[in-house]
Amino acid sequence: MRLLIVEDEALLARQLAGAAAAAGYAVDCAHDGEQANFLAGTEEYDAVILDLGLPKMDGLTLLRQWRQSGIATPVLILTARGSWHEKVQGIDTGADDYVSKPFQVEEVLARIRALIRRATGNFTTELRAGNITLDTRAARATLGGIPVKLTSHEFRVLSYLMHHQDRVITRSELTEHIYAQDFDRDSNTVEVFVARLRRKLGPGSIETVRGIGYRIAQ
Amino acid sequence: MSMPRSLRSRLILASVLWTAGLLMLLHMGSLHVVHAVPALRGSHGGIVTILGVAILIAGLAAARSSLTPFLALREKIAALRAGRETRIDGAYPTEVQPLIDSLNALLADREKALERARLTAGDLAHGLKTPLALLSREAAMAREAGHGELAAAIEQHIRRMSNQVDYHLARARVAASGPNAAAIPLSPCIDSLVRTLRKLHAARTIDIQIRISPEIGVRVNAEDVEEILGNLLDNACKWAKTRVTLAVDRMDSMTAITIEDDGPGLAADLRQQVLQRGVRVDEAVPGSGLGLSIARDLTEHYGGTIALEASSLGGLLARITLPAG
Repeated sequence: MRLLIVEDEALLARQLAGAAAAAGYAVDCAHDGEQANFLAGTEEYDAVILDLGLPKMDGLTLLRQWRQSGIATPVLILTARGSWHEKVQGIDTGADDYVSKPFQVEEVLARIRALIRRATGNFTTELRAGNITLDTRAARATLGGIPVKLTSHEFRVLSYLMHHQDRVITRSELTEHIYAQDFDRDSNTVEVFVARLRRKLGPGSIETVRGIGYRIAQ
Repeated sequence: MSMPRSLRSRLILASVLWTAGLLMLLHMGSLHVVHAVPALRGSHGGIVTILGVAILIAGLAAARSSLTPFLALREKIAALRAGRETRIDGAYPTEVQPLIDSLNALLADREKALERARLTAGDLAHGLKTPLALLSREAAMAREAGHGELAAAIEQHIRRMSNQVDYHLARARVAASGPNAAAIPLSPCIDSLVRTLRKLHAARTIDIQIRISPEIGVRVNAEDVEEILGNLLDNACKWAKTRVTLAVDRMDSMTAITIEDDGPGLAADLRQQVLQRGVRVDEAVPGSGLGLSIARDLTEHYGGTIALEASSLGGLLARITLPAG
C-alpha cells in the first residue's frame, strides 16, 4: 500500500511519513500543490493525506482537479481551519475524510486504514484468505494463528493482494503500489518478494495467473 | 436670543423674521400706492387674502419637504444597524450629501478592518495549530520512550490550547457578523451537512432521518447555520447507536430544529454543563469538546435558544430555535 502525503510544513510531513512508513506503507511526500499534482497524476496511490493550505496551488483546487480528471484515490484532508463550513466544502469537493490539526498521528493512520479498506470493499480490520490473516491495525500477518515475520516490502505485497482478493493483480500494478517514488526498483523485484512470501506462507498461498499476474489463494 | 436646537424651529424662526421684514416693506409700499391712486383702496381684498393663505401653505409644505430626507436617513440607519443594509444609498440635499459620503466611507473602512481581523484570527489559528500538531507527535514519541506521564501532561495542554484557539476563532467570527442576516433556505444547508456527516461517520452505519419542508428558512448567516447544526449533528452521530433524527418546524417568528439520537444520553445535571464553555464530558470521544458551547454562543448571538433534553429514542435531544426567514 502506497501513500502520498501533501504537507508544506516539512517537520510535520516528516513525522507523518515516518509514522506511516513504520505502519508498513510506501510513502511519497509533496511540499507544494504543483508537486502534489504532478505526483498524483503520474503515480499510483492507495490514499492521499492532503493539507489544505499549500503554496502554489491550494488543496481544494488540487482535489477538484483530481476528481474532475477521474482520480478516485481516497483523500483525507488535514487542516488547521476546522469550521463546519470548511468540512462541508472539503467533502463536497470530493474528500473522503477530514481531520483537524492538532491531531494524533495514530488517529490519522487509523482513518487512512479505514479509507483504504472501504475503497477496496473490505469492511473488517482483519483480512483473511485461507489460513492467512492480515491485521491492518497492527500491520501484522499470521499463518494459522502464528505470527509471520515479514519485511516491509513483503508486507506491502501481501497487504495489496489481501485487500484485492477479488481480482488478479498485474506485476506492474503491484510494482506501482509497493515502492516509494525514489526507490531503486531493479534490485528488489516483485518476483523476489512473491517467492519469499511463498516460502513463508506456503507454496500455494499466492497463485500465478500466467500472462496476467498474481492472486492470493482462497 | 439663543438659537433653538431643532432644525425645524430654526427654519420657522427664519421664515417668520423674513416675513415680518417683507410685511414692513410692503406696508410702506402700499401706503405710497394708496396715497398716489386713492381709487385702489378696498378693491381685490378677497383675491389677495386667498393668494396670501395659499402662499403660506406652500411655504409650510416646502419647509416640511426639506426635512423628509432626514426621516428617510433615520430609517436607513436603522436598517444599517439591523444588518439589512451595508451602505446608505439615495440622493440627499447638497448640504447633507458630503456627510452621507463620509459616513459610507467610514462604513467601508470598518468592514475592511473587521475582515482583516477575521483573517488575522484565521492565520493565528493556522499558525498555532501546526506547531501543536508537531508537539502532539513529540508527546507520542515521549510515550513510546516510556515517559507516559509527561506525554499525558503535554497532550492535556495541547488540547487546552487547541480548544482556546477554536473557541476564540469562533467568537471572532461571531463578533464580525451583525445579529440580523438575510433569510436563507434551510434545506440545502442541511442536505450538504448530512452528506458530510455520512462520510465522516462512514465507519459506522448510522441512519440519519430528516423531516423538513423546503420553504422553511432562517435569518442566519449560512456559515453560522452550518457551524451550529454541524456541531450538534456531529455530536448526535458520535454518540448514536444507529439512529439520528432531525426535524424542522415553523413556530411563529422562529424556526425550531430538533436533533435526537439513540445513544446513551446525558444526565440532567450534565446537560447544562456541556453547554458551558470548554467542558468535555467524555475525554475518550474525539472532537474539540467545544462544539456545543460554540453552537450556543452563535445561536444566542442571533437571538435564538438552545436546550438539551432527554430523547424518546433513548439518547439526547437538542432543541434549537433561530429567527425564521
